[in-house]
Amino acid sequence: MSEIRQIAIYGKGGIGKSTTTQNLTAGLVEHGKKVMVVGCDPKADSTRLLLGGLAQKTVLDTIREEGEDVELDRILKEGYGGTRCVESGGPEPGVGCAGRGIITSINMLENLGAYTDDLDYVFYDVLGDVVCGGFAMPIREGKAKEIYIVASGEMMALYAANNISKGIQRYARTGGVRLGGIICNSRNVDRELDLLRAFSKELGTKLLYFVPRDNIVQHAEINKKTVIEYRPDSNQAQEYRNLAQAVIENEDFVIPTPMTQERLEEILMEYGMMELADDYKI
Amino acid sequence: MAKLLDKQRYKCALGAMQSVQAITRALPILHSGPGCAQKLSESIGSSGYFSPNIFPCTSINEKDVVFGGVKKLNSTIENALKVIDADLYVVLTGCIPEIVGDDSGEVVSRFEDADKPVIYAPTAGFKGNNYKGHEQVVDAIVEQYLKKSETKQKGLVNIWADVPYQDLFWLGNLRELEKLISELGLTPNTIFGYNRGIKNIDKIPEAEFNLLVSPWVGLNNMKKMERKLGIPYLHYKTLPIGATETSKFLREVGKFAGVAEEKVESVIKEHEDYYYYLIERYADLFLENRVINKQFTVVSDAHYALGITKFLANDLGLVPAKQFVVDDTPKNRREEIAEEFKKLNFGLEAEVSFETDGFKIHEEIKNHDYHGYPLILGGYYEKEVTDSLKGNFLNVSYPTQDKVVLDSSYVGYTGGIRLIEDIYTVAVQRFN
Repeated sequence: MSEIRQIAIYGKGGIGKSTTTQNLTAGLVEHGKKVMVVGCDPKADSTRLLLGGLAQKTVLDTIREEGEDVELDRILKEGYGGTRCVESGGPEPGVGCAGRGIITSINMLENLGAYTDDLDYVFYDVLGDVVCGGFAMPIREGKAKEIYIVASGEMMALYAANNISKGIQRYARTGGVRLGGIICNSRNVDRELDLLRAFSKELGTKLLYFVPRDNIVQHAEINKKTVIEYRPDSNQAQEYRNLAQAVIENEDFVIPTPMTQERLEEILMEYGMMELADDYKI
Repeated sequence: MAKLLDKQRYKCALGAMQSVQAITRALPILHSGPGCAQKLSESIGSSGYFSPNIFPCTSINEKDVVFGGVKKLNSTIENALKVIDADLYVVLTGCIPEIVGDDSGEVVSRFEDADKPVIYAPTAGFKGNNYKGHEQVVDAIVEQYLKKSETKQKGLVNIWADVPYQDLFWLGNLRELEKLISELGLTPNTIFGYNRGIKNIDKIPEAEFNLLVSPWVGLNNMKKMERKLGIPYLHYKTLPIGATETSKFLREVGKFAGVAEEKVESVIKEHEDYYYYLIERYADLFLENRVINKQFTVVSDAHYALGITKFLANDLGLVPAKQFVVDDTPKNRREEIAEEFKKLNFGLEAEVSFETDGFKIHEEIKNHDYHGYPLILGGYYEKEVTDSLKGNFLNVSYPTQDKVVLDSSYVGYTGGIRLIEDIYTVAVQRFN
């Protein structure tokens, strides 16, 4: 029995971390892998596509209402293809400490024995940015050793990815956490593939996979399904299978080399982003 | 780089619960973890109508961290108002709710219409020590409770000095300062200790001026009251101990308050005559005693270090070795306080070190040549190092272990005499 590959997915808010994670999970399931997805976002929407809706009571809601003496099956639900789904959840917006909430949840999962030996993969789908120590929890204390950053060719996505790399670098110095690569969730920005390749290279990593933009993803989302479940024969379903294959085969794990703001802007300039910025309309 | 701080002489800002407790019938309501108050409540002389063990506390736990502790705070205040009869309720927040971001001020504002005043002081330990916390409590009273008064009471003076309980002599000192101010024909007003409390807090805005007797603690409160309540202040940096400083103090206060010079001088003369009568009677002891060496060191907060250094140099003719201020004085105040140590009689100047690390202080004491038995006045931490040097030791500041003080004081003429008694009691015991 090989060790569980624990993977944390980071990236700018709204970039498609949850969508990518769940579709990737569906791809891994097709490869016969046993996967657990832990949503580490107070919005608690990391497992919606696997469970066919927001069917999950979060760990923190359960603790809030029932106290800490809960059984694992109260917080862990089985979703598409036997995936195990957990949502950490969080306090109401504006109160409490969501970061601490993540820590509490993950500790509880461990204590309740959620990490069974039959698991091949555990994914932590973490919210937008590493805003405090709590959101770095999945990469601390030897949990997730592998990180993928979801990005696109948009400047703020790359800015966030670079920033997240600083956090990874910090924890990589003392622990075993490594960056496995960048996953591009395409926004159809000009020269996006070239830009992401250059950006990844500068970070000392690689562009693991380029997921093209396809409206079928939105259709699947509306139907509360992953693309693989919704349209198994579509091109996009194949893309996610390929992404899963890339993750399975990936052996390049690095300590990232985050760049300065100046260097980041240079790269953007080189790939024509800065000129386009003039035409940018909101 | 983190350092080890050896022999710390203060507590965290939440230690200001002692300042609240010192206000008669004022009750601290703690929004903190359950261990905070327990650790902060070791002071002796703190039992009574309210004592630390009955202070209401939210005792917040991990669940409150994740979801916020405001509901618990709300119910704790609500129930404290129901079951504990106090005149003033002061919510003090510890580190956890301040880090989590609980809006404690908003919760407290829900009790605006309560029968009794409820106010809130942010006293997270990471904000600083209990000297700062003390300032926060006074600030909360000024900011949230007091209103500017249109009328002033002639001759009314608010006196602010020691930090209650942190300073063992706080009660006696405040009473002695009140006495001295009364003798000038002024009316003193203090809020700490027996029979003061809310009725005196209510009088604060009517005062003609604030008198701050402290090198730095409380200065921010004076400035706040000047702005908000229109009360001017006199900042007298040195705790007056003994005739030299007390006479100077009375002259300065008299001048600021517009008291007739003759009146001030007659008060001074009466005290000084008696003071020097006592000194004269014991002159042979002071002159011929061979165990009180000429050099001394004070290890204390700025309040005592400055007051005692001036007293020993000016009144007893002793020579200051290095003095140590251990209260983590704010950096921007250090220079002017160090200057005060240079204003000694006989052309003397005292070198002062703002040092919080007891190990370093003791190393310096051990390496200094006191030209005989050193005289060390400080916290109980200094007892051992003084013993190792065969010196004379008097425990005058935090932590105090070897004496019981109910209402004794080292302030004023009488206080100077008390300090002489205590120092020479140590000396005469030496060969008995």
